[in-house]
Amino acid sequence: MVTLDLHGYGWMLWRGLGLTILVGLGAMALAVTFGLLGAWGKLSRYRAARGLAGTYTTVIRGVPELILILLVYYGVPTLIQDLAARAGHDLRVDLNPFVAGIATIGLIYGAFATEVFRGAFQAVPRDQVEAARAFGMGRALMLRRILLPQMWRFALPGLGNVWMVLIKATALISVIQLEELMRSADIAARATRLPFTFFFAASLFYLGITIVSMVIQGRIESWSYRGAQRG
Amino acid sequence: MTPDAGPREAALRVTNLHKAFGSLDVLRGVSLAAHEHDVIAVMGASGSGKSTLLRCINLLDIPDAGEVHVGGELIHMGFDRRGQRTPADPRQVDRIRTRLGMVFQRFNLWSHMTVLQNIVEAPIRVLGVPRRRAMEQADHLLRKVGLYDKRDDFPAYLSGGQEQRAAIARALAMEPEVLLLDEPTSALDPELVGEVLKVIDDLAAEGRTMLIVTHEIGFARAVSSRTIFLHQGMVSEQGPSRQVLDEPRSERFRQFLSGGDWGRSALTTPSQSGENESP
Repeated sequence: MVTLDLHGYGWMLWRGLGLTILVGLGAMALAVTFGLLGAWGKLSRYRAARGLAGTYTTVIRGVPELILILLVYYGVPTLIQDLAARAGHDLRVDLNPFVAGIATIGLIYGAFATEVFRGAFQAVPRDQVEAARAFGMGRALMLRRILLPQMWRFALPGLGNVWMVLIKATALISVIQLEELMRSADIAARATRLPFTFFFAASLFYLGITIVSMVIQGRIESWSYRGAQRG
Repeated sequence: MTPDAGPREAALRVTNLHKAFGSLDVLRGVSLAAHEHDVIAVMGASGSGKSTLLRCINLLDIPDAGEVHVGGELIHMGFDRRGQRTPADPRQVDRIRTRLGMVFQRFNLWSHMTVLQNIVEAPIRVLGVPRRRAMEQADHLLRKVGLYDKRDDFPAYLSGGQEQRAAIARALAMEPEVLLLDEPTSALDPELVGEVLKVIDDLAAEGRTMLIVTHEIGFARAVSSRTIFLHQGMVSEQGPSRQVLDEPRSERFRQFLSGGDWGRSALTTPSQSGENESP
């Protein structure tokens, strides 16, 4: 029987795991928000909204995540300081890596969620919308009562996918000194000179998150399918 | 006294309705008036514009020209920025739609809601009826259409006939002035047609004002007070149903009636039902 000897660094990995989950959940909430807004923009009657949403998904999906993370964490404060200096103010801006991490990952995966939601909205059968209109529902009411609840059915498989990729992408924010799972494993590996042990342990943690996620996703999907016969 | 000179406004008046899809003229000047308690059967071959007529009345399709009055109120039309004809006031359209109960060919029940939720949804959210009262009314309607025991089922678990009866209950829950039924039995298996026609027949006996697009000739004869025959987007024949259906004047209508009667109507005699509903 092989056991992983973590040389007293186990608590650090657990703490990192907690932080990773926290960042993941926060970023996912943000991604869902951006995704809904993005899908709304893409399906809008207004050209400006469509253009804005299109630019968002094109730019975000076209630039590597790592660059975006560094850009937000190091670039944005510098930009603000430079602008302030030009206006004659001496300003020191530091982004909290936790907040910056959530914001960046949320922004990036919001672009992917946008496409998921766009497809999901379009997958809701036309006759459901027609019935809503025929009963005098306005746009907002129809969106809230008919479109959103039905859209989830089509969105959840895609969102589950976004979540899986997102949770792994949180490892990237180890570069901005946030001691999430990846960085904790890195610190422990360097201190003990046991890279295999700690990176292997960390990978098991990530795998654990995704397996639990899959189970939860299955539950949520069955709930979203209430009323529908599954094939 | 002719109907047009009556003291009361028609429940529904359609004047010179035109609608084209691309180069296809579907409606070419259709006019009709439904007075209170009128049951009007709209017949015609497929492509004659029957469904489009119904959809233009509650503006699911926007007519290119013509007027629709509901209970004397004109639906105001205007033009959008691109010059497309569009309702001048979307809120007026929403309001008018609540007064026109729509029953779709394919039911269009909201699939994420139970039968009961389908029925109370629009009364509560659109009309602002208190939940308790909406539920009581829904239960009453469910008994009426014989679906009380299915109230907590989702539409996907109902038969087509049950779905359509639920859809009729949903339309009735709005207490509409006029019911629009778009081929309510066309999507049903033959053995399920009767149960839906029975419900509609009961509504006619109650004196509901209805516009029914239907292929069921026997049913139209038994239930409707007037029949309109559409041909190529125009009213080609109309009058009291018995008269029009028994003595069609045009060759086209005669052909339609002989070829279109599938001889499986559940109601071939005038109904005596609807007198005392069992609870």
